[in-house]
Amino acid sequence: MMGLASYLIISTILFICGVIAILARKNIIAILLGLELILNASALNFVAYTRFLNNSIDGHIFSLFIIVIAAAEAAVALAIVLRFYQIRETVHIDDATQLQG
Amino acid sequence: MNINYLANLSLYIPEIMVIFTLVGLLFIEATYSEEEKGRKLFFGVMTVGLVLALLALVKNLGVPPASIFTNAVIIDPFSTIVKILMVAGTLFTIYLGQQSRDIYSNMKAEFALMAIGVLVGGMLLASANNMLTTYIGVETLSILSYVMATLKKNDDRSSEAGIKYVLYGGVASGMMVFGISHIFGVFGSIQFVEIYPLIKDLSSLQMAILIPSFIFFFVGLGYKIACVPFHMWAPDVYEGSPLPVTTFFAIVPKMAGMAILLRVTMIFFGPENTVMHVSWVGVLQVVAALTMIVGNVSAIAQKSVKRMLAYSSIGQAGFMLLGVVVIDDIGVSAVLFYMITYLFMTLVAFFITSFVADKYGNDHFERFSGLGFRYPLMGVVMAVVMFSLTGVPPFAGFIAKFNIFYAAINQKLYTLVLIGGLTSVISFYFYVKVIRFMFFTPAESEEKIGGFGYINQGLITALAVPVLFLGIFWSGLITKIVHSKLFFVQ
Repeated sequence: MMGLASYLIISTILFICGVIAILARKNIIAILLGLELILNASALNFVAYTRFLNNSIDGHIFSLFIIVIAAAEAAVALAIVLRFYQIRETVHIDDATQLQG
Repeated sequence: MNINYLANLSLYIPEIMVIFTLVGLLFIEATYSEEEKGRKLFFGVMTVGLVLALLALVKNLGVPPASIFTNAVIIDPFSTIVKILMVAGTLFTIYLGQQSRDIYSNMKAEFALMAIGVLVGGMLLASANNMLTTYIGVETLSILSYVMATLKKNDDRSSEAGIKYVLYGGVASGMMVFGISHIFGVFGSIQFVEIYPLIKDLSSLQMAILIPSFIFFFVGLGYKIACVPFHMWAPDVYEGSPLPVTTFFAIVPKMAGMAILLRVTMIFFGPENTVMHVSWVGVLQVVAALTMIVGNVSAIAQKSVKRMLAYSSIGQAGFMLLGVVVIDDIGVSAVLFYMITYLFMTLVAFFITSFVADKYGNDHFERFSGLGFRYPLMGVVMAVVMFSLTGVPPFAGFIAKFNIFYAAINQKLYTLVLIGGLTSVISFYFYVKVIRFMFFTPAESEEKIGGFGYINQGLITALAVPVLFLGIFWSGLITKIVHSKLFFVQ
C-alpha cells in the first residue's frame, strides 16, 4: 500500500535532484531541466497532501496552477536562452561574464 | 452568493481597469503598430487607463476594508497605498521609456505593455491573502520582468542580464512553491486567515517541517526585494537592462515584494513569542543587517552611476526591512512612508541619470562633470535627491529613516539601528561623489543634453518637490498614516 510517506520521499528525491542539477550543471538548458524537477516535486507534494490528509480542493487547484506557470516560465526562459545563443553562440553559463563589478 | 460576488467586483475596479487597459493596448499595438497615429493613440489610451485606475484607487482608500473572492484578495488601506505608488511609478517609468534612447523606438510600445503586465502582478501581490495569489503574483511579476530585462534584443549585455534574471528568479520561485507545498501539507489550508491561528501551538514534528518550509518561502520573497543572500542577480540585471527598465525594477517589483513580506510577517508572526516567531524574526534581522551592510559598502567601489544606484536600492531595501522586523503598526506606517519617499527619490535619480547616459553612451561618474553649471536646476535637484537618499535633514529621506529608527528603538533593536546609522554614514560617500562631480569638476563638453528640454526639466523638478515638501511638512501625512488602521485580517 502506497502511503503519504512514499510520495513525500519521491518528491524530496526529485527536489534534491533538481537542486543538484542546478548547482552542478553548466549548461543553461540542463539548469532549466533542474528547475522543472523542483516545480514538479512541489506539484506532487500538493496532490499527495490533498489525497491523504484533507479533502479540500485547494491543493489540486494549486498543482494545476504550478503546471501552467511552469510551462509559461519555460517558454520565456527558452526564448531568452535562444537570444543568448544567437548572440554568443554558446549556452554555457560560465560564458555569461560580461556584467561584473 | 452570486450577488456578493458582484459586489466584490466593485472593490476590484482598479485592477480590472489596468487589465482592460493592457488588453486594449494589445489590440491597438497589433492593429496600428506601423503608423504615427497609432503611437499617439497607444500612449493616449495608456495614460487615460492608468490615470483612471489611480483615481479608482484613491476612491478605494475611503471604503471599509474587505476580503473578496472567497478570501483570495484583500483590499485594505495598506494595499491600496502600495498600489497607488506602483501605478504612479509605472506611469512615470513608461514616460521615461518613451523619452529615453536606451529603448529602441520599435520597442517602446512593448516596454509599456510589459510594464503594465508586471504592474498587474504587483497589484495582485500587494493585496494577496492566500498562498495561491502570492505565488501567482510573484510569477506574473517575474516572468514579464525576465522579458523586460532582455528588451534590447541584439545587445549581449541585455541578453546576459535576462539569462541571469531568469535562472535566479526561476530557482527562487521554485524553492518558494516547494516551501508553500509543505506549509499546505501541515496546515491543510492555503488561506492566510486559516493558517495564522494554527501557528501558535505546533508539535515538534510539525515545527521540524515548517521552519525549513518558511525559509524556502522567504527565499522567493527575498529574491524579489533583492535582500542579501539572494541579491547576486540585482547589480548585474540592473546594469545590463536598459535604464528605464532598471528604473522600473527598482520601483514596482521591490515595492510589491516588500508589501507581501510585510503582510506575511504581520499576519503570521505577530506579537506571540513562539519558536516559529523567534526563528522568522531572527532570519529577518540577520538579513536586514546584511542587506544594509552589503548594499551600502559595495556601492562605494562602483564606477557607473547606474550600478551605484542598483547597490543603493539594495541598501534602501535593507532600511525598509528594518521597519518590517519591528512588526507593529508604527513599523508598518514607517515602511509606507519610506516607500513614498523612495518612489520620488528613485524616479528623479534615474530620470537624470538616464538623460545623461543617453547623451554620452555610458553613465560613469565622470559624465556628470560640471552638470551643476550647465543645467543648474538639474544639478540642484540631483543634489537634493542624493542628500535625501543619504538621509540628511531637512529632506524626506531623513524623516523616512528617522521614522524607521524610531520604530526600531521602540522595540529595542539597538544593534540594527546602530548598523543602520553607520551604513547611512558610509552611503554619504558615494552619494556625495555624484554631487562632487556635478559642482566641483569642470565640464567635459559644452554640448547640450537632448533629454533636458523644458518639459522634462519641469517634470523632474515636479517629482523632486515632494522630496523637499515631505521633508518639512511630513507630520500631516505621517499622522494620517498612523491613525488609519492599515491592516485588516479576515
